[in-house]
Amino acid sequence: MFSSINSRAIVPVACAVTGFVIACCVLLYTFVKSDLITGEIHHAADLADTVIKSTRYAMLHDDRETLSQIINNIGDQNQVEHVRIFNKKGLIMFSRDGSEVDNFINKTAAGCNECHAESKPKRKLGAMEQARQFTNQDGHDVLAITAPIYNEPECFNAACHFHDAGQSLLGTLDIGVSQAPLKKTLTQLKGRMIMFSGMVLVLTVGAVCALLYRQVFLPIRQLVDFTEKAPGDSLDSDFPEVSGEVARLANAFKQMKARVNELEEHQAKSREVPTKETTP
Amino acid sequence: MSQAGPHPDGQQMPGREGLQQRVEIRIRRLERGLLAGLWSMVLFLLVSFGAYENFSFLPELSEDFRRMLGAPPPSEMISLALVIYAFSGIVGTLARMSRNIKPFRGLMHASFFTAFYVFYYLSGVLSDNFWAVLFAGLSVMGLENYYLWAHSNEALQKEREILEGLRSGGE
Repeated sequence: MFSSINSRAIVPVACAVTGFVIACCVLLYTFVKSDLITGEIHHAADLADTVIKSTRYAMLHDDRETLSQIINNIGDQNQVEHVRIFNKKGLIMFSRDGSEVDNFINKTAAGCNECHAESKPKRKLGAMEQARQFTNQDGHDVLAITAPIYNEPECFNAACHFHDAGQSLLGTLDIGVSQAPLKKTLTQLKGRMIMFSGMVLVLTVGAVCALLYRQVFLPIRQLVDFTEKAPGDSLDSDFPEVSGEVARLANAFKQMKARVNELEEHQAKSREVPTKETTP
Repeated sequence: MSQAGPHPDGQQMPGREGLQQRVEIRIRRLERGLLAGLWSMVLFLLVSFGAYENFSFLPELSEDFRRMLGAPPPSEMISLALVIYAFSGIVGTLARMSRNIKPFRGLMHASFFTAFYVFYYLSGVLSDNFWAVLFAGLSVMGLENYYLWAHSNEALQKEREILEGLRSGGE
């Protein structure tokens, strides 16, 4: 397989370049995917914050009807898979899915165990820790954010005096957004990267092959053809036109051919001399 | 090379026979070198197979052990190190090929790529980066093994010709 100079020069380089380009493409895809998911998480965390701020006024006035309407309207949006608010004990108070209301959530489930993994729940979570990714019952990929609703002076100083100042957490908002657009973007990105890296590979390997063939293999083949001529053929005609490094090789052939010619003439003359001497 | 070395048991070997023995030793050493290259490739592929399964055959690392190891490096840093290592590995092999310097025979590349698998595993992102390590490893180790194979074959051919000459000259 590796007996010819073509395969010895091209195959290893082509394989090394191909492997390296594929490795770099996989890493680049992983970087881009990670950046897109991080962006999506921050976007979902901002959305959760917006929902909490939108419902704040209704909460302060204990306006459950308005709060329920806000939750329903947000849940009706295209990309929102679920939205629910549950209290500190885990009882679902408001949800887009009416059947969930007045049920307790599982504190060991994903999304809850970030805070409740240890005996003493965590007070604060960063945006990345609030996020979880899972496939819901409908088979949709969901990115969910669990945002805590903290007790604030406006809450414990309100006229209703429902919450006391010592209560740090009032409840939690859980909102899930569909990951379908993100998956679609990643699939498109993967396809484009495969296409572009394929083009880069074909161009790189093709250019190396073409240049090697034109600059090295073709002149060498011409020289080989020239030197392999039948003994009776003239060495003066059809000497290959070559340039660069191979030209030195061609010149060496020319000089060798001149020396061979000289030797042949010398031998011919030396053969003629004794013949003339013996002639009467 | 033309001088016969001392015989292991202290006696001076006759010139031709000693030379023949030394050539045979060199041939065996070259053949062993070829095998070492192949073994390193096999080892890397075996580790890759384990990594593909996310090292599920290994016991789960305990929390205490993980705490002892400390925080894993960020996956971006591991990926950057992988790209730099693969790039310098390929460039290094190509440079050694062009200067006809002796190739590596050991398990250095296999050990480094195994370390990359382990770092990704500890960072919890092995499944995302498995193919990158596999292709980087295959390209670097494939090129290195190709050079080892070509270099050793050339040297073996020369040594065999010398051995042939010695044998035919002795008859």
